[in-house]
Amino acid sequence: MNTNADAIVIGAGIIGATTALALTNAGMKVLVIDRGNIASGTTSAGEGNILVSDKAPGPELDLALRSRDAWFEIQEDIGGGFELEAKGGLVVARSESGVVGLRALTSVQRQAGIDAQDVSEADLRALEPHLSHSITDGALYPQDSQCQPMLAAAEILRAVRMRGGEFIAGANVTAINTSNGAVTGVVTSEGTFNAPIIVNATGTWAGQIAELAGSSLPIAPRRGFILVSVPTRKIIFHKVYDAEYVANVSSGEADLQSSAVVEGTQSGTILIGASRERVGFKDGIDFEILRVLARQAIALFPILADIQLLRAYRGFRPYAPDHLPVIGEDPLFKGFWHNAGHEGAGIGLAPASAQLIVDGILGRTSFMDATPFSPTRFTRGEVS
Amino acid sequence: MEHKHQVIVVGGGPAGLNAAKYAANAGCEVALLDSATRLGGQYWRNTGNEIEDQATHHDFDQGSLLMDAVTANPRITHYPNTTIWSAAILDDEITLRTQDDVFSTTRLILATGAYDRSLPFPGWDIPGVMTAGAAQSLLKGEGVIAGKRIVVAGSGPFLLPVASGITSHGGKVVGVIEAAGRFAWLPEILTLLQNPTKISEGLGYLLTLRKAKVAMRFKQAVVAAHAGADGLLDSITVANIDAEFRIKSTYSLQCDVAAIGWGFTPDTSLAGALGLKEEVAADGSVVVVVDDNQCATSPQPEVQVFAAGEITGIGGSGLSLAEGAIAGLSAAASRTNLRQLKKLRRRAHRFALTLQRVYSIPAGWQSWLTPETIICRCEEVNYEAIQDVSEKFGADDARSAKLMTRCGMGMCQGRICSRNVADLLNSPDSDRIKGVYRPIIAPITLGELAQDGLL
Repeated sequence: MNTNADAIVIGAGIIGATTALALTNAGMKVLVIDRGNIASGTTSAGEGNILVSDKAPGPELDLALRSRDAWFEIQEDIGGGFELEAKGGLVVARSESGVVGLRALTSVQRQAGIDAQDVSEADLRALEPHLSHSITDGALYPQDSQCQPMLAAAEILRAVRMRGGEFIAGANVTAINTSNGAVTGVVTSEGTFNAPIIVNATGTWAGQIAELAGSSLPIAPRRGFILVSVPTRKIIFHKVYDAEYVANVSSGEADLQSSAVVEGTQSGTILIGASRERVGFKDGIDFEILRVLARQAIALFPILADIQLLRAYRGFRPYAPDHLPVIGEDPLFKGFWHNAGHEGAGIGLAPASAQLIVDGILGRTSFMDATPFSPTRFTRGEVS
Repeated sequence: MEHKHQVIVVGGGPAGLNAAKYAANAGCEVALLDSATRLGGQYWRNTGNEIEDQATHHDFDQGSLLMDAVTANPRITHYPNTTIWSAAILDDEITLRTQDDVFSTTRLILATGAYDRSLPFPGWDIPGVMTAGAAQSLLKGEGVIAGKRIVVAGSGPFLLPVASGITSHGGKVVGVIEAAGRFAWLPEILTLLQNPTKISEGLGYLLTLRKAKVAMRFKQAVVAAHAGADGLLDSITVANIDAEFRIKSTYSLQCDVAAIGWGFTPDTSLAGALGLKEEVAADGSVVVVVDDNQCATSPQPEVQVFAAGEITGIGGSGLSLAEGAIAGLSAAASRTNLRQLKKLRRRAHRFALTLQRVYSIPAGWQSWLTPETIICRCEEVNYEAIQDVSEKFGADDARSAKLMTRCGMGMCQGRICSRNVADLLNSPDSDRIKGVYRPIIAPITLGELAQDGLL
């Protein structure tokens, strides 16, 4: 099969979709392939977070700040349809040390350009009337947003198709062809497709795709569970989470870490996260973790004790050893670009990551220096 | 509390009762877990009023004897009002959790039964339209006749006891509308003759209906329902249908209740949560795969899980009783009477397959739908939204439809709609099986989950 694409994007999750849109908008003819269907990996296993609040100053925060605004630009560009909402994040501290840590964090975040507002006890009640009375300190992040990630991926890919791109579902990549140190195409269960540029946007599975070309990427799964309640009246108004979450996000521990993240959705359900553990692609439901999540959520919102759990799901965050995404050209093969490893922040970071990829491919100056995300950092020995 | 048992049976209907009885008689110590207050399951629907139950059920005597035998057996502990919300196999042991208790065993028999199958059509969400089973349980459970002018419709032998039950309690059935033909039985007459008790049961119902001058209409179906000014059911559109269920002509019928049953869907939630092997049966339902001894394929061979009754394929009480007995014996590693029971099961199975052929549901029902017809009632997803998913996004699988439209994500977790959505999208078997996977088997409050100290 010959599709004469300028670029092939492997992966139809949020990273693949936004990358395909950015390439298309730059004038390239793009083919997107996925072994499953739209959003069949980690994209459908999260809450749709677009957060700036959970990041300390550094390259990832610069990426997040740009990406947050880029989400609203995509909404303008393609006409929305994916429930994008600046609902605001509310981070609460439950201990003395937590309060001190949170104040210190908001202070440096403000210097880095985040709108981070320290919230008094009275204001906390006004923002979240059902919050536990034992909680007296918090910080509000009006920039924190949310979207429905499956719809976002689907709507974005629809725009790509309408603008001349192509999407093939159920195409499992079995080989990546290279010649003279450059990629030339992919062999899939649905045929062979050739293009001088191949973007690996396969998230948690990006290491396997890199290996098919003869390269490597140290991306591993970090499992997480989410509880979903029955639909209720609106009782939680922001994305509310425990300040400990910020520490857990950047932790390298393999053991289970869990801190409450609670929010309502447009469909009336309440989502409760977030656990993190490195146990490989372990299947099944771990009821010990569900119990911890329920306990932590009730500690924030005692009213949740009487609300029924409807279902639970798990996902595998794509995780690199230094917790930074991998965005850039492969050190061994020209034309082979990686855009993966965004861990639990993939939805939020997707549009700006896509922009870095396109600017890299076209050799343009981008909104930030992409060196911290380069895949060469693993081979240079900077990260072990 | 934590309870350990040699054998645990889940489900107090015909299959579960017989499984418990046979396992206990073969020397096992058995726990029988059931979500209802009284034994008997949906089939015997034991109200505790024996005179009334005998009057409303043609073979309540058989059920009564079986329930008495189970209750009197000192080796069987009955746990009523016991709803399992999660199940797992951990450390070579099967663990079942209820609100207050944890049950563990190495030998489990699942007999979780089935629930009514509904087909969507314009107006099926109007108050007054209900399943045949709902009309039946109103009558038997609450002693309530569902309406003043009742239509019983759909397909299958279950419509007859529902209609005759309403009639014999003084209710007015204005019509029994059966999608199969009047003589649909003829090609299967030999199987029918091998089951004389079924003939006498059916004739009994028909006699009751004839006495009450209830019209039986064949090769017809309710294809639309209409609300009156009060928002309640006022009339239905009945269609003459062809063999594929496509509409040939229609007429209108006044009624305030339409009790509609299209057979049953096995409730395999518990089996799926345990990771047992499932497959798609000839009638399109997802069923548990079992071997000749009713043994299911467990992901961990150290534990034994058996399945009996409707969850291995819709087949009625006779087949359920036989399968339950075999499962009970197998769990006890006994071979007493096993050969005779297997012979009985073979005959009941043949009869079940005949029923499925006579009352099969071809895809023509899909032509009754309009773009506005609700497919998923919990999340109010209409037919157009589901079609849009494939047209707009180029994704035509059931999972994409669920993720993009929320169909099947609501309170019932797809119990009502997932089979219909799979039919509409012509889903492969693998999608049908994934579509019934529900790790949280029944809702539990977050407070109960948080307090569970037995995990």
